[in-house]
Amino acid sequence: MEHLLQFYAIYGSVINFIGINALLALSLNVTLSAGMLSLGNAAFAAVGGYTAGILSLRFGFPYVASLAGGTCAAGLVGLVIGLPVLRLKGVFLAMATLAFGEVVRLAAVNLDVTGGAEGLTGIPNVTTTWMIYLVLAAAAYFIAMLRRSRLGWGLVSMREDETAASSLGIPVTYYKAVAFVIGAMLAGLAGGMYAHLNYLITPRDYGFFIAVDLLIYNIVGGTNIWYGPILGAALLTALPEVLRGAGVTAGPIRMGINGLILLLVILFLPNGLASLFARRRSSAVKAGA
Amino acid sequence: MDLLLQQLINGLFIGSVYGLFAVGYTLVFGVLDMLNLAHAAIFTLGGLIALWLVETAGVSLWLAFPMACVAAGLLGLLLNQVAFAPLRKRSDSQFSGLISSIAMAIIFEAAALGLFGARSVRFPVGTVPTHTWQIAGITITLLQVGIVCVAASLMVILTLFIGRTRTGKAIRAVGENERAATLLGINVNGIIAFTFFVSSALGGAAGILFGLYFNNLTPDMGRSIELKGLAVIILGGMGSIPGAILGGLAFGLSEVLTVAITGTSNLRDAVAFAVLFAILLIRPSGLLGRGKTREA
Amino acid sequence: MKLVGRALMGVVIGIFLLSAVATTAFSASFKMGFVFSMTGGAAVYGASQKEGASLAVDQINAAAGSGLKIIPIFEDDASVPQQGTNVFNKLINGNKVSIIIGPTLSNTAKITDPIAQKAGVPVLAISNTISGITEIGDYIFRDSLTENVVIPHTVKVAKEKLKLKKVAILYGNDDAMTKATYEVFKKVLKSSGIQILGEQTFAKGDRDFSPQLTQIKAQNPDAIICGALAEEASGIISQARQLGIPKTVRIIGGNGFNSPGLIKNAGAAAEGVIVGAAWNISSTAPLNVKFVNDYTKKYKHAPDQFAAQAFAGVHIAYQAAKASNGGSDRKALRDAMAKIKNLDTVLGRFSFTEGRDANHIGVVQEIRDGKFVVLGN
Repeated sequence: MEHLLQFYAIYGSVINFIGINALLALSLNVTLSAGMLSLGNAAFAAVGGYTAGILSLRFGFPYVASLAGGTCAAGLVGLVIGLPVLRLKGVFLAMATLAFGEVVRLAAVNLDVTGGAEGLTGIPNVTTTWMIYLVLAAAAYFIAMLRRSRLGWGLVSMREDETAASSLGIPVTYYKAVAFVIGAMLAGLAGGMYAHLNYLITPRDYGFFIAVDLLIYNIVGGTNIWYGPILGAALLTALPEVLRGAGVTAGPIRMGINGLILLLVILFLPNGLASLFARRRSSAVKAGA
Repeated sequence: MDLLLQQLINGLFIGSVYGLFAVGYTLVFGVLDMLNLAHAAIFTLGGLIALWLVETAGVSLWLAFPMACVAAGLLGLLLNQVAFAPLRKRSDSQFSGLISSIAMAIIFEAAALGLFGARSVRFPVGTVPTHTWQIAGITITLLQVGIVCVAASLMVILTLFIGRTRTGKAIRAVGENERAATLLGINVNGIIAFTFFVSSALGGAAGILFGLYFNNLTPDMGRSIELKGLAVIILGGMGSIPGAILGGLAFGLSEVLTVAITGTSNLRDAVAFAVLFAILLIRPSGLLGRGKTREA
Repeated sequence: MKLVGRALMGVVIGIFLLSAVATTAFSASFKMGFVFSMTGGAAVYGASQKEGASLAVDQINAAAGSGLKIIPIFEDDASVPQQGTNVFNKLINGNKVSIIIGPTLSNTAKITDPIAQKAGVPVLAISNTISGITEIGDYIFRDSLTENVVIPHTVKVAKEKLKLKKVAILYGNDDAMTKATYEVFKKVLKSSGIQILGEQTFAKGDRDFSPQLTQIKAQNPDAIICGALAEEASGIISQARQLGIPKTVRIIGGNGFNSPGLIKNAGAAAEGVIVGAAWNISSTAPLNVKFVNDYTKKYKHAPDQFAAQAFAGVHIAYQAAKASNGGSDRKALRDAMAKIKNLDTVLGRFSFTEGRDANHIGVVQEIRDGKFVVLGN
């Protein structure tokens, strides 16, 4: 018990960040499962985070109300942005959402209400580990259910072949918009919780490289199953600290090993880390059949 | 009037730098339909290798330039072998290629950091002549003219190469349809490797010119231009070489004109990305894109 | 899934136990944690800081004999606040350090320092220059002069010597430090009755500043006030001269300008640049001369302000540890830190203010013949 407490004292923040990053990764997974690559989820997290932070800080909203406000604001922005950009495909969608993300980040840098480059300081520090994991569990359950729903099947079939899906009567545009908004809301929720974890949020917490990180979590973990993004986020968030614990302290070497592990996973585990578990199960299913 | 003219010249210059960077980006995309996010890291290494050759190995710049370009090209071959070739047959190659190129970018940047240190370094004073012309209140430097000329001539040479030569035609064939190209007896793997070599050598050349002009090389200098490079190839039309140069110029001009018109620079980047967003909505194939809407 | 989880937990606990065994310290030493940005965007500054701090630790330990020694633990926060948080928790609860020196970036400090304050671990900031750092709590100290101290002084000296009437400002608006520089400059310029003709901004990582400088040139200011770090400053200076802004239009910078790298990268264009700084490389105080020589000998390049402040920081913390019976008691170490008075350091005679900020004299320098020389005090 004592060791466990000690472990938490040292790695509690890593555990928190894993939870937040996993939540963000899940938010991206909703659109990825439909084959849509969005680089805008970091920006949605920024919208949620700044909204929730401002509600708490300037208007004295209680925590849950601030989170709800952040989530809804992100969803609303998602809807407004989503309707025009969702006709784009592949890399073009990625670039449009990336441009949107940059505009959001630059707005945060230039506006007074967001505190500019110094960020929004003094946000009450109320998010705790159990809250993060409660929300993560609920989100994971939601995503797992979603995948089994009509909407979920529709999204997967759109990834395989959009034209065919459309001719089978799947309302492609509507489904896309719903997926996009759900993703935005989840990201906004994660952003709001993150804002209340750290005393401070700055525009740099939500830049291009963060958006790319979310994609990396998904691909490394595996996009085909609900726990894939969670695994990816856990591994990659913990990796720098594990390397640190293993005594790899020199900056460039640690950075290089980080890159190397990412490369090895992507090369040798085509369906991500999740395939390590799924493979066993699918072979069991085959044996049964 | 002087002011506006000077700003246009500034835009023309920085736009050529963006364009030069983006040409290599767009070349690989045209052939593979994959984004190579390690391009910025190769750009950085190109500049740093040339600097090492000039400063430590004592090679003259005129020799160091092509040597560093070849070195960058070889890094491109390595990149293709390690990060792209093994993934090509996979159904999710667009996404996984993106990630594996990011992994290689991290490894390259770590190598640059380990080998050259974090400090910003520059080419020794006098490596290139620093002649400046002052014409009617407007300032142009020799190096600026040189860089614009290099960008323009590379565009012409590459366009001719892709359009007229056998290899160029093979590159286009692979870009259009890999399977058909194989049936025509084209060595697809060879062509892809060659494309990576050319693309990375160009990236390295851009890095050297960038380092020479701004006198400030750091292991992470590719990061700030990476995002703009992406915007430029969208603007110009993915896969189009003249488009990349034109997109670079358009992006550079939009930056300086925002400053010139509003009088402040707060909105510079925001306007540039808002324009990108708008162009994607109005004309997703970009200024000179091939028109065909790509499959996801 | 469960098995993997348990195995992972086992590995992590194992690592923790190992580090606990390895750290059963002998009495005549104490642990000093360093949190620097050795990779990522701020790696330039982290590199200088690590060199300055290592030099101090090596010299102190070599001279200590059987006396009090420092066990240094260097950690890299990769210029990312999240990793800064992780590192602070590790140093405080895992390595059980007595004091933490760092972190490099002000924004990271705003997130990490409350953790140390809560745990009762003293922190000595050596490069955070924005306000609101030492206000976090009574365990937070800093040896870097804030822009609030350096800039009013710089403006006063520059106004006297150059008869400034109207200036233009250029600053990085997406970085906490350069933006703070700008805000202080703006306030001080206004109160000194100097007219601000216009404000231009740039973004971190920018290399091309000619559009902004072209606008500034057209406004014809007496001087250009610049909130930038050394990396960008060299580009700004050389491009200003290239665009034909005459040398009589001086460029004036804050803390971030104070780096030999600036002179090296900007070359001849750097002549005449005015820098408000916390540390004077050309000071002939014996301690400083020895530091500059030792540093240059060991690392083959001259130290900058970041290195000097790190070097001084280690000495300040070491003095406090000696005064508090070996530094193993964090509370006693904190109290001893607060009592540091007139300590001879490379920064000059050093004391902390009531608010635990640096209290020593800043210096206004100009670059002449490729060297920093004192313009006025």
